[in-house]
Amino acid sequence: MEEFLTDDMIVCRCEEITVGEIKEAIKQGAKDVIGVKRRVRAGMGLCQGRTCEKMVQQILCQELGVAPSEVGSSSPRPPVRPISFGELARGVVE
Amino acid sequence: MKEFDIVVIGAGAIGTSVAYHLALKGLKTALIEKGDIAHGSSSHCDAVSLICDKLPGIDTAMGQASIDYYGELDKKFNYDFEYDPKGCLYVCETEPEFEAASEYMERQRADGYDLRMVRSEELCKMEPHIANDLAGALYTPPSGAIAVSPYKVCYAFVEEGKKLGLEVFTYTNINKINLDEKTNAVVSIDTDTQGTIKTRRIVNCAGAWAPEVGKLTGLNIPISPRKGTNLVSEQTERLCNHKILEYGYMMSKFDSIHFKRKVSPLVEKQNIAFNLEYTKANNLLVGGNRLFRGFDIRSEIETLKAICERAIRFYPELEDIKCIRTYAGVRPFVIDHLPIVSDVDSIPGYYIAAGHEGDGICFSPFTGKQVAQMVMGEGTDFDISRLDFARFTK
Repeated sequence: MEEFLTDDMIVCRCEEITVGEIKEAIKQGAKDVIGVKRRVRAGMGLCQGRTCEKMVQQILCQELGVAPSEVGSSSPRPPVRPISFGELARGVVE
Repeated sequence: MKEFDIVVIGAGAIGTSVAYHLALKGLKTALIEKGDIAHGSSSHCDAVSLICDKLPGIDTAMGQASIDYYGELDKKFNYDFEYDPKGCLYVCETEPEFEAASEYMERQRADGYDLRMVRSEELCKMEPHIANDLAGALYTPPSGAIAVSPYKVCYAFVEEGKKLGLEVFTYTNINKINLDEKTNAVVSIDTDTQGTIKTRRIVNCAGAWAPEVGKLTGLNIPISPRKGTNLVSEQTERLCNHKILEYGYMMSKFDSIHFKRKVSPLVEKQNIAFNLEYTKANNLLVGGNRLFRGFDIRSEIETLKAICERAIRFYPELEDIKCIRTYAGVRPFVIDHLPIVSDVDSIPGYYIAAGHEGDGICFSPFTGKQVAQMVMGEGTDFDISRLDFARFTK
């Protein structure tokens, strides 16, 4: 795993956050997915971490030497996929 | 055994500022947090600091002092906390709201604050995307209305504090606070990751969780969690140029001020007060409301629907903009809407700085400075006697 990750590799595509930036967040004290997210925005974009979360977890495990269960995941929050404020206001009409 | 001059409990907007300012005074300071930095309210709120949501008088004076101080810190700190003096428009939907806002504006102007009313035509020029049928707005210039990233403020205080020798212990729980048998003064703290830490002074900055910390020494701290909700949009063109709030926000903040708004039963029931701002990353934050739900911070669908309904009333183009996330958090509510920034008569060496409700980000720099002055036995810049804990113990 480690040998494939270079610091300039983009992990979070939505926010264009690299492996190096995530490692820097971990150095600043991030110990879990949410800590990385707040420090460097990985997982804060349009897809809300669907693409990058597993990768962020792997980098955390690798850097901190902990099990995947210890690095957590982002909090589950609606909406499940992006919907317009109008749709959300009215509710779903079949 | 580790030993510190003072230990700060809670690493939110208040605790990190208090810890930084104590370190700045040359005290050997530790900051203890049960989660990560900014793990509680300071990462579950919005980003603005305003004078125009404060009551005239000392509340506004303290708010202005804190906003001015943010400007100084932005220049002084290497860590970028996204300081953005953006100005604020308190929009008035109806003529009675406009009149009430005008009265408020006059009182603030009499105290020397540069607020003014704008009518619909000017409002639409300042905010091209806003509904064109509003009565007007109360305008606060950037000198009295700024935005910051709330969690980056916390990181900034921590990183700048570390340069002054501040030590930070995150993911650390306090099991016990030990008091002297004879004097009842603070002696030490038992923690799960650092063992016993010797200290003669502690500051309880645990916000909505301050009562939990208080219980460890038998203190009854009257702070309750009050829930607020926000929605996040996709990254978009800036729909607004200022921080936008509806004047009805005052109503949800201060129960004593009543305006009868023409809103749907859902908006009324959910205690919605529209507010909107853009972030540095060009997402929009759309809010908001205040509800008592204990520590349950799940997003509630009825709240989300009501916020969207109200937001589209003021910014019709939101109809087609996508929401990508919602979040809710608790604000540390105190019944008289004043924080507790105080020593504790019954326990020498015990201080409290908590209970800022929705003003924690705004008052963060100010509170840190006052607490450091209080701990050092210097006079505080402001008379903070009204924030005394003793008001609840008499």
